Amino acid sequence: MASVELQSIRKKYGAVEVIKGLDLSVDDGSFTALLGPSGCGKSTLLRMVAGLEEITEGRALIGGTDVTHELPAKRRVAMVFQSYALYPHLTVAQNICFSLSLAGASKSVQKEKGDRVARLLQLEALMDRRPAELSGGQRQRVAIGRALVRDPEVFLFDEPLSNLDALLRVQMRLELAKLHNELKTTMIYVTHDQVEAMTLADRIVVLDKGVISQMGTPLDLYNHPANRFVASFIGSPGMNFLPAVVRMQPSGLHAGFEGGAVMKLTPRATPHFDGGQKVEIGIRPEHVTLTNPGAGQIDGVATVFEQLGNTSYVYIDTGLGQIIVEADQSVRIHPGDRLGLTLDPARAHVFDAKGTAWAEAQ
Amino acid sequence: MTATIYTGAQVRRLRRFNTGGAIISVITLLGVIFWAFPIYWALATSFKPEQDIVRPGLDLIPNSFTIEAYAHVLLNTNIGIWYLNSLVTSGAVTVLVILMSAAAGYAISQLDFPGRRVLWWLILASFMVPIPALIVNHFVLMAEFRMLNKWSGVILPQLLAPVTVMIYKQFFDSVPRDFREAAVMDGATEWQLLFRLYLPMNWGITTALAIITFIGAWNAFLWPFLAVTSERMMNVSVGITQVTDAFGVKYARDLSSAILAGLPVALVYLIFQRRVTQAIMLTAGIKG
Amino acid sequence: MMRYRRSDITTALILLIPFLLVYGVLFVYPTFQMVGLTFTNAPLIGEGEWIGFRNYERLWGDRLFSRAVWNTGYFVLLTVIPSTLLGLLIALGVNRLNGWWQSVALAAFFLPYILPVSVVFRIWAWMLDSQFGIMQYPIAAIWGENVPIFRTLPLFMPAVAFITVWWLIGFNVLLFIAGLRNISSEIYEAAALDGATRWQQFARITWPLIWPITVLVATIQLILQLKIFDQIYLFGQGGRTDSTLGMVELIYRSAFQRNQGGYGATVALVLFVIIVVVSVLQYQLLRAKGQR
Repeated sequence: MASVELQSIRKKYGAVEVIKGLDLSVDDGSFTALLGPSGCGKSTLLRMVAGLEEITEGRALIGGTDVTHELPAKRRVAMVFQSYALYPHLTVAQNICFSLSLAGASKSVQKEKGDRVARLLQLEALMDRRPAELSGGQRQRVAIGRALVRDPEVFLFDEPLSNLDALLRVQMRLELAKLHNELKTTMIYVTHDQVEAMTLADRIVVLDKGVISQMGTPLDLYNHPANRFVASFIGSPGMNFLPAVVRMQPSGLHAGFEGGAVMKLTPRATPHFDGGQKVEIGIRPEHVTLTNPGAGQIDGVATVFEQLGNTSYVYIDTGLGQIIVEADQSVRIHPGDRLGLTLDPARAHVFDAKGTAWAEAQ
Repeated sequence: MTATIYTGAQVRRLRRFNTGGAIISVITLLGVIFWAFPIYWALATSFKPEQDIVRPGLDLIPNSFTIEAYAHVLLNTNIGIWYLNSLVTSGAVTVLVILMSAAAGYAISQLDFPGRRVLWWLILASFMVPIPALIVNHFVLMAEFRMLNKWSGVILPQLLAPVTVMIYKQFFDSVPRDFREAAVMDGATEWQLLFRLYLPMNWGITTALAIITFIGAWNAFLWPFLAVTSERMMNVSVGITQVTDAFGVKYARDLSSAILAGLPVALVYLIFQRRVTQAIMLTAGIKG
Repeated sequence: MMRYRRSDITTALILLIPFLLVYGVLFVYPTFQMVGLTFTNAPLIGEGEWIGFRNYERLWGDRLFSRAVWNTGYFVLLTVIPSTLLGLLIALGVNRLNGWWQSVALAAFFLPYILPVSVVFRIWAWMLDSQFGIMQYPIAAIWGENVPIFRTLPLFMPAVAFITVWWLIGFNVLLFIAGLRNISSEIYEAAALDGATRWQQFARITWPLIWPITVLVATIQLILQLKIFDQIYLFGQGGRTDSTLGMVELIYRSAFQRNQGGYGATVALVLFVIIVVVSVLQYQLLRAKGQR
């Protein structure tokens, strides 16, 4: 178990800078997710921790030791690959114990450690099979087992669930969560799926084009996104963004929407401005309520109605664009219905022209 | 089941295919017989007593069956020694070529070192140079090293096998990067990567290449012919052509020595048919 | 991948040394030496004096050399196109057979390819033997008497070419079958429903789709036959070999029998250049033609 620290890390491929000077601190024993869209650099970052990519500038420390120029095998980290990378010519048992065999461990030691891991991951029945004979979920467990047997201080996961079908993905997510609870080893987990990040991680690091957009607990990121990128990335269906103009009135901050609606905002730590400033108001679907036309701040026409059984989503065309509303499962809306929308000002987010959120004043 | 509706004309044409197809198959089988006949005929003749052969008249199947020709060849010629020479030189060539080519192919494929590109282009270029063009120089070299008339002299020039290196490089290239990285994470050194990952994952290639290298070395004529003047050092493929005088014109013996010479590689082929065809395809792929 | 240059280089060196040694000593050095030799009058073993382009001048006027070039070209003509086309035809036939029959057929056509040239020599020397060879029966029926094929000059090359085709056809057949198998049978079914005759199917579907393989086979055969030596030497033994020698045999003769290493190297170099030029030309030409 060890902490991981990245200091002023930069990664360049020739002239292209992919990671632009970031600092990251991963606590010992935590489950940290690196979240972001393709190309944001999350895999590159993970591979730099693993030692599979060279760190152009900066330092990496594992458990306090500088490993920036250390070989992967010496870093006490283990990695689970997206494609599992199970050695096709070896059995499950041999796959799991490969690192031990490379290091010259005796057969008895290999068997002992291998069996222990197999028991933990329920692989005992499969020990003599080849990877080609296993299902996706089984292969993933073998990949985890191979990492586990090395008793690493940090576990690295590179989008391990993306090759599984939806049902299996949910199952394996649970297994991973249980694994972390049992082992309490530091885990760094790369994914583009915010659901995985939200459900598994203690801390999420959202990456955008090589920089950290925001770091925090899942609820932190959900309720207090620091910028528009994080706000739109986290949560499904995504946050609604409505263009507005914010004015400082004597009674406080007000947001004025096109079409005349006005909403009073909760106090914010705002930069000083005169007159009006163009912003985007962000509001999540569950914080918008349906009412009669004219009774709310905005009016619109329903276009699509999705019923999921435990909840429902209504897609509404308004003068400000499309707004998604989460409604109770008992609600019945038909396309073409005219509706009014009430926004909860206490849950509204303000994003300025640069996308930065205006934090609430304490 | 989908129902397909044919017009009358199409049905007629489809039916014509079958008769046409049957004719083609018959012709093909006739071709097979014609192609296999010379080998059969040589075999059959080798088992006939000499007087039956030189007698007028044609016995497609031997009237009397004898192994006297074989016995004579085995007992009265150096064919046993030729066999030994062939085995040793072909075996050595095979082992050395495979080891060298796998190692070089791995280095070019997986390692980064100065001159890598240059070396690769050099190997590609060496393709174009015909080995027969170099026989003079090879002869002179082997003479200088005093390796003529020795196994080493026969073996060395045959170790030139750019195609094998190229095939190994291609196959090592095609091993997905993930496997290498996983093994690196597991702590493998380059040597362990080569011997415990890359080679085992490509075992079929090695077998195929080994077999075809062996066959090629066994069958080699031009170089072994040049490099060896002493009859006791000849390999079997050269030997059987150099000692006709001893037989005078004894057909059965000529043929039986030829059969004996060709038997090992024919057996290797018949047993390892799949691997041989695979290897042929690979080498052709490289040339294309 | 992380690169640790020093350990990479050392490992690479160790892995490469055997290959580099063999390659350097047996290929690079001889190639340069060969080129150098062409400018000397060196004997087979030993030093010679620099004579500039005299070897090349001699080559130009040497009747034996032009004969060798002509013979080689003639042989190439007799083998490359027939063996390529025949290989395709046989492959078409064999491909139609099923299961066990196909394996047997393939083995029959391929087995000769596996045999050493000397074994092929013996088999056919017997088949065409002027006294008792089985082929003399049909030959005598046509010609009236037995014909010593290998002693009859006009028949020598065609006979050896015929035998060479018999010997090597398996290689071509194999490649063509692989190519044919790559053509989905659905294309033929669609064509059949469209009313294509068998000939049309061949001309419009098979031939164009198999063209790359045809080029490949022809090129490989061409390069191979330009280096012809073994069969011609073996079948020509004891006869007037001046008339039938190919370029490689000329190299062998000049260097080994006439002890003219420099001159032999010159012939070798010319052969090398011819091979490179012809094969590149042919490949480009046929490729371009195929891209109609």
